Amino acid sequence: MFLLYMNLLEGVASAVYSRKKAYCKMLLHAAKYPHCAVNGLLVAEKVKEKKKDSHSAPILCVDCVPLFHGTLALAPMLEVALTLIDTWCKENRYVIAGYYQANERTKDFRPNQVAEKVAARISENFSEAAIVMVDNSRLTMSCFEPIVLIYDHHENKWKSRDVNTDCFEDWLEAQKITSALLEGRSYENLIDFDNHLDDLRNDWTNPVINKSVLDLC
Amino acid sequence: ACVVKERKMASVSELYDVGWEEMRDKLRKWREDNCRNSEQIVDVGEELISEHGSKLGDDIWIIYEQVMIAALDCSRDDLALTCLQELRKQFPDSHRVKRLSGMRLEALERYDEANKHYDAILQDDPTNTAARKRKISILKAQGKSAEAIRELNEYLEQFVGDQEAWHELSELYINEHDYGKAAFCLEELMMTNPHNHLYCEQYAEVKYTQGGLENLELSRKYFAQALRLNNRNMRALFGLYMSASHIAASPKVGAKVKKDNMKYAAWAATQINRAYKLAGRGTKENKCSVKAVEEMLESMQITMS
Repeated sequence: MFLLYMNLLEGVASAVYSRKKAYCKMLLHAAKYPHCAVNGLLVAEKVKEKKKDSHSAPILCVDCVPLFHGTLALAPMLEVALTLIDTWCKENRYVIAGYYQANERTKDFRPNQVAEKVAARISENFSEAAIVMVDNSRLTMSCFEPIVLIYDHHENKWKSRDVNTDCFEDWLEAQKITSALLEGRSYENLIDFDNHLDDLRNDWTNPVINKSVLDLC
Repeated sequence: ACVVKERKMASVSELYDVGWEEMRDKLRKWREDNCRNSEQIVDVGEELISEHGSKLGDDIWIIYEQVMIAALDCSRDDLALTCLQELRKQFPDSHRVKRLSGMRLEALERYDEANKHYDAILQDDPTNTAARKRKISILKAQGKSAEAIRELNEYLEQFVGDQEAWHELSELYINEHDYGKAAFCLEELMMTNPHNHLYCEQYAEVKYTQGGLENLELSRKYFAQALRLNNRNMRALFGLYMSASHIAASPKVGAKVKKDNMKYAAWAATQINRAYKLAGRGTKENKCSVKAVEEMLESMQITMS
């Protein structure tokens, strides 16, 4: 699990924990399409309304839904995916809480216009939406360190936050599981929304991968 | 992002119970379909070459080429070099092999050296399209999109029938959010491939993304056209639904246009529901998708009316 600390400038640390399967599936998606850009949504459990003065309760980021690979900058299928996944979230008491992207070029980990646009859209429903960028250049089988950069929206800009193993509660577990799945080439079975549109029987909730993660826990 | 692997796996032939002929035929199919399933190609090809190389006859050379390129994709420089060396021995003065050497240098990010290779080919043979396209790929890999676009435009002035190049250019424009120019490229492709439903559908997506009522109506027409060409294209079906819904919901359209588009959207919604029910037959997991789609369609109906 890893924690995303946000809103530090306001003196309120609201932590977003991520379940192992969210982190795993993000990396598996990037590994499945090494020559493409990939993106997806991060999904959190819905919490009750926070009071203004109280310490924000931690937000549990429970899952991720891989969206597209290749061309990310077209609107119609993105709209379909957002609407469909939003409906699914409502049924499961989830909320879309963030967006991840791995760029096409290995050394490029900056959020681009697509990332900012999608994140802005997500922010309409979830004010603390974050952008998580995968650092492709550090993607290896062993996953010794967390390879994501997390961006929060402050004063109209997306600023990156420090991410290290201290931010991770059960980093060793997450690292072990992700590494095992990469070695076992589980990414071949990863389904993204593009795969779903190619064949509706492909399930973008990835029950097969979810089970593999559980089996490895 | 490529990952380096250490494998102690059973052989491909053991795992899948296939003979060497099937492995050879699989490789040919992947060549013909231009698949980029590099890990599989490396697995099958490496074993085929090392265990059954003598049986392959002249096929071995094209297999070396195919495996070499796949090996580059998988960061298997050892394998790539082996294949390359065999090809160099057999075809010492070949431009085609020189291009492969260039690609290896690209994979190692030695772009200046790679460019020298391609320039040398072009000195000898200015019409060598492969070398020109590799140079453009280097620009793309270096993030020099504007230059890549410029070079590709120049290339297409000379080689106006190169469909792969038109498609690459459309993607470059889409990534730069220049949807108008991307649409132009796709128009070229649709003209020369009027029965290709994928080009129609992509054109419709670009028009939709461009936005505005006129583009939305155009996108709806092309989503519909894509469906006529292939009625199982889900993107076209969803696209028809979305574009018709947005037009019907627009305050700028008259009553007749609104009514017509609501009809198109309703038809598309029925087809989408049907497609999901068909796909979800017999599987428990897909029920959530079916339900989510039904709800999504219902909620959009409400915003339209």
